[in-house]
Amino acid sequence: MSHQDKFARLAALKPARAEGARPAELRAPQETDALARALGAAVASNRYGEHLALRTWFSSPEFSEPAPAALEILSRTRDETASRRMRAALADPAQWLFLDTETTGLAGGTGTYAFLVGIGWWDAGGLQVEQLVLRDFTEEYSLLQELATRIAKRPVLVTFNGKSFDWPLLQSRFTMTRAIAAPRLAAHLDLLHPARALWKLRLGSVRLAELERHVLDAPRLGWRRDHDVPSALIPQFYFDYLRGGPVAPLAGVARHNQMDLRGLAALFGKINAMLADSAGEAPEAHSVDLFGLSRYLERRGEPARANAVCTRAMESGLPAAFHPLAQRDLALRARRSADYDTAAALWEKLLADPRDGLLACEQLAIHHERRSRNIERAADFARLGMRKAQLLRGQGGSPWSSAEATARAARLEEKFSARLARLEQRIAGGRRKGSASLPPAKKGKEAKRVR
Amino acid sequence: MPHSLAVRAPSTGQSIARVAEVLDALAARDTRGEILTAVRHFPAREAQWADLPAWTHADLAATYAAKGITRLYSHQAAAAEAVREGKNVVVVTPTASGKTLCYNLPVVNAILENSDTRALYLFPTKALAQDQLAELHDLNERLENRFGVFTYDGDTPGGARKAIRELGHIVLTNPDMLHTGILPHHTRWTRLFENLRYVVLDELHTYRGVFGSHLANVLRRLRRVARFYGRELQFICSSATIANPGELAGRLLEAEVEVLEANGAPAAEKTFVFYNPPVVNRALGIRRSYINESSRVAQEFLRHDLQTIVFANSRLHTELLLTYLQQANPHAPGGAEKIRGYRGGYLPGERREIERGLREGRIRGVVSTSALELGIDVGSLDAAVLAGYPGTIASTWQRAGRAGRRSGSSCAVLVASSAPLDQFMVRNPDYFFGNTPEHAFIQPDNLEILVNHLKCAAFELPIRPEERFGAVDVRELCARLAEAGYLHRAGEHWHWTHEAYPADTVSLRSVSSDNFVIVDITGQPEVIGEIDFTSALDMVHPKAIYLHGAQQYHVEHLDFEERKAYVKKVDCDYYTDAIRYTQVRVLDIAAQQRSPQTANAVILSEAKDLNLNPATNPSAPSYTHAHGDVLVRSQVVGFKKIKFFTNENVGAGQLELPENEMHTTAWWITLERALLESLPFSISERQSGMFGLLHALESVATLLLMCDTRDLGTSIGERPPAPGAENAEFAPLRLEDAVGANAREFFEPNLYLYDAYPGGIGFSEPLFRVHETLLRQTRELIAGCACEQGCPSCVGPAGDLAPRAKEAALAILDRLCRCGEGGASAAGLAI
Repeated sequence: MSHQDKFARLAALKPARAEGARPAELRAPQETDALARALGAAVASNRYGEHLALRTWFSSPEFSEPAPAALEILSRTRDETASRRMRAALADPAQWLFLDTETTGLAGGTGTYAFLVGIGWWDAGGLQVEQLVLRDFTEEYSLLQELATRIAKRPVLVTFNGKSFDWPLLQSRFTMTRAIAAPRLAAHLDLLHPARALWKLRLGSVRLAELERHVLDAPRLGWRRDHDVPSALIPQFYFDYLRGGPVAPLAGVARHNQMDLRGLAALFGKINAMLADSAGEAPEAHSVDLFGLSRYLERRGEPARANAVCTRAMESGLPAAFHPLAQRDLALRARRSADYDTAAALWEKLLADPRDGLLACEQLAIHHERRSRNIERAADFARLGMRKAQLLRGQGGSPWSSAEATARAARLEEKFSARLARLEQRIAGGRRKGSASLPPAKKGKEAKRVR
Repeated sequence: MPHSLAVRAPSTGQSIARVAEVLDALAARDTRGEILTAVRHFPAREAQWADLPAWTHADLAATYAAKGITRLYSHQAAAAEAVREGKNVVVVTPTASGKTLCYNLPVVNAILENSDTRALYLFPTKALAQDQLAELHDLNERLENRFGVFTYDGDTPGGARKAIRELGHIVLTNPDMLHTGILPHHTRWTRLFENLRYVVLDELHTYRGVFGSHLANVLRRLRRVARFYGRELQFICSSATIANPGELAGRLLEAEVEVLEANGAPAAEKTFVFYNPPVVNRALGIRRSYINESSRVAQEFLRHDLQTIVFANSRLHTELLLTYLQQANPHAPGGAEKIRGYRGGYLPGERREIERGLREGRIRGVVSTSALELGIDVGSLDAAVLAGYPGTIASTWQRAGRAGRRSGSSCAVLVASSAPLDQFMVRNPDYFFGNTPEHAFIQPDNLEILVNHLKCAAFELPIRPEERFGAVDVRELCARLAEAGYLHRAGEHWHWTHEAYPADTVSLRSVSSDNFVIVDITGQPEVIGEIDFTSALDMVHPKAIYLHGAQQYHVEHLDFEERKAYVKKVDCDYYTDAIRYTQVRVLDIAAQQRSPQTANAVILSEAKDLNLNPATNPSAPSYTHAHGDVLVRSQVVGFKKIKFFTNENVGAGQLELPENEMHTTAWWITLERALLESLPFSISERQSGMFGLLHALESVATLLLMCDTRDLGTSIGERPPAPGAENAEFAPLRLEDAVGANAREFFEPNLYLYDAYPGGIGFSEPLFRVHETLLRQTRELIAGCACEQGCPSCVGPAGDLAPRAKEAALAILDRLCRCGEGGASAAGLAI
């Protein structure tokens, strides 16, 4: 038997795709520069060789001045020196470089290539977008060399999910050359996390295309993604092209990349505006977004602003579904700032809430035991909590509750019953002695029991 | 290691007397002289000392001195010197002979001399890496933490990984993690790769068969990536005693390797006993349960206050033996358990605690799976009881080696089960004691394995046209991979062009990475285990009883597409045994030989010759044997329900499951018509005899090959008819068809032993070479068995075969061996 036959029966050589590895239609063999023509790109060259490059200027989004307050919040990290360095770099918009890559896969690792690198910067009041494209893998050195000089000029990177994806991937590509050093960044601002904090509650998904439609008001900007390329197909379009397939889909990929960069730049303006608007005064602000903003502010160490924005969100028609969440945030914040009565009033509103009712019972029992020193009332809340936990545990057999939920309910029930026993003992003891003698409040320990 | 003497519970000279008492007690039970089939004494051995090498860094020498090590065993010094000279080495030593020092000394020394030096340690299991981490931490602490040492495996938290990549001078990991976690991300490991000098491969002997063949390819990739960063690697390996450590290391590393076999560690006197449980029913060949007997023997040691380790061959038996021994040795109220279990499923913390307890003598007995066979430091114990033959001579010595303090006396007892291999071993002790342990085979150029790793290699670095990857022409394979859509040629180089991450789809351990997940749906759905594709259809087919952690599960539903088996807890008194039909078709003959040999030896290599008529006198009894490529088709068609303890067949079911096809290699023997017709048996008896013979052949073949029984498959089929008819339906012979009135006669059957891995794993060619030994030992196995009409220990359970099957099998063998005589003289075990 020949080697040919041996190869034919190897499972490891089964075609990568069911329909076969060859693209359905092939471009004419003489069309070597079809890609350049389809993209309207020129051949760029440097000492490592050639690649394609094209520049496109967009009048929208317009440049918006970054607000110091917004930059302060975005750049805040645990490391104060790092925060300061980042803030200084961010303060100069001329150094910003928006970046987004199109790659041959999402898994990362050394075998994933960035075949299109899009970068953008503010220029003449609009956004200048430059795209560097590989006609084949041999052009990677030349592309990376070009990218390195661009980043050296504008070393503040602004990305969407680039901290965990695009930038590590590019760093890996630089390492793979063993010749071109990865450029050093002055700062790297990733908008995924702020965007998630601000809009996940309202939109569920914070993909850039969703944000464009619902947050940036894309129709008003005249942005359309009608024939947008589905991200999942991008690697295959490129593989098809490499094997002699059509170039047209890659023109779509380039447009997609341009849209993403414009969206990224506009998103930065939007986040900037929201964070700068200290009390959520902007009349057009969506109430759920304000609530998201309040939670983001809380996380970034701005409890006072968080409270103001949260209150404003509730006043400006926060949907009922979010009320308990907002009340819970306010209650926790009130307790932390030792405003116990406000906290108690908020917890009372939450007593019937299916999610936080138990927490409210616990907090109120603690409040009345330690603060208002109304032991009878504390016992009432402990009793209510125990009953709720019992009910919850009783639902354990239903298909809707998980084993963990049942176990948690059992644990809570035990806690409440222990608390109740203690309170009842004190009530009885108090009756015997005729007066209640109270131990000093154990602040730290009780506070930890939240959740 | 000498230092370990200090931390261990003192071993008293009294152990000599107590071991003798136990041996007397065991002998007293053996009134008919059938139970203790061998009692061998091994005298004490003195340590061979050597000085610490003169080049040892002063701080390291001082550190070892503080641990009580001022001089080395001769093999440790030899290894350190060889490493110093830049050689690849493999140190072959038994358990507890101080092998870790063989690599730690030169590696740590090199780091102290140049703090840029990096080393990668590979262990076959995570537990071993943890064990070595503790040892290295201790060394490092004494050196005021001058180097970084970390484990990097699936348990390493995400937050710690970055620091490990930067700061780890010594990174302890396993081949799987290297394969999926490190090599495909080598750009994150530049610090390590740019300075990588040593690679330590511990427990080299475990890298055989499929696992070894995969590892050899992972090492090809490792060397390739290291070269990218300008590094050539030096390998330091340790291995248990096997027949061919140098050959195995050479094939794994594809480089010159110096073999260091002289062991300089001391050993106390030792007794090795073979224990065959007494026969209960002589006719059926039924013996007393070896599990109960193992427990009894272990109990005897424990009663004499001898610290004892019991090895079981399965998790189930570990739990069973543990229960028996804990019941017999209740701990004091409020006190800690004196007998503990130890196996893969236990949590790391618990395992460390048990290891410590054993070293300190608090724990008096431990029941373990093979988990403690490898080099985890539990100190040395007084006695080892092996419940069942571990499958290989090498493994048996490793386990027995767990008993053996440096002074006093120790004892190891092998309690045989009724499996053929066990019975062969206890009845032929000279075979065990007189032979070198087995050979370890790997086949790094198995195309299926190689191509998978070539894909991974392309993902890691584009493939250059001049590159070599094993013995295969890389250019041709790359072209094939490009056609299939995995690679693309840009300039001279081949680049990976697929979204999938190739290492994720290649498992180093199992035959196929296409595993089935087992989901327990008794309560909340919960994944309780995984099972590889080939075993899945046998173990978790619909209505099967699946055993997991001593719990029975009923398979409610097998989702073949989704690769999921849904099971529910049950408590029933039977287990199931799948009925699998297997057909083998010869595709290509690599070599064949006819016995008795004619004047000019017939070594044929053309497929068409397969069907040529024998050139010799057709009436003389003869056989042909061959090896080559085959197509194996198999299908699980039903199952039997078998009652526990009595092994009665209590029911059956039919199944409709997909058929499986696999190309692999096989060795086979053709029983020619003249030979079969010369047998004075009925057709049914003859056929039964053939199945019995194959059953025994498989047992002996696994023994010769040092492989797992699951690595070999068997089948009987008609030798293909006339040329041109190859595509005709080739029905296999089934045991059910062969017995009884409907027996269909075979004209000239082939008895196949095939490699149970796509592409073959290299067993067929060695079997072809040693077939005479294989036949002779199979005859010894069957002839030496005391049963009347067959039993699980020789030709298979009597109930499954026609009466006189054993006789028929022996008669066939007699004729085969007679044919073989006069040919080449017995080859012995020199495979």
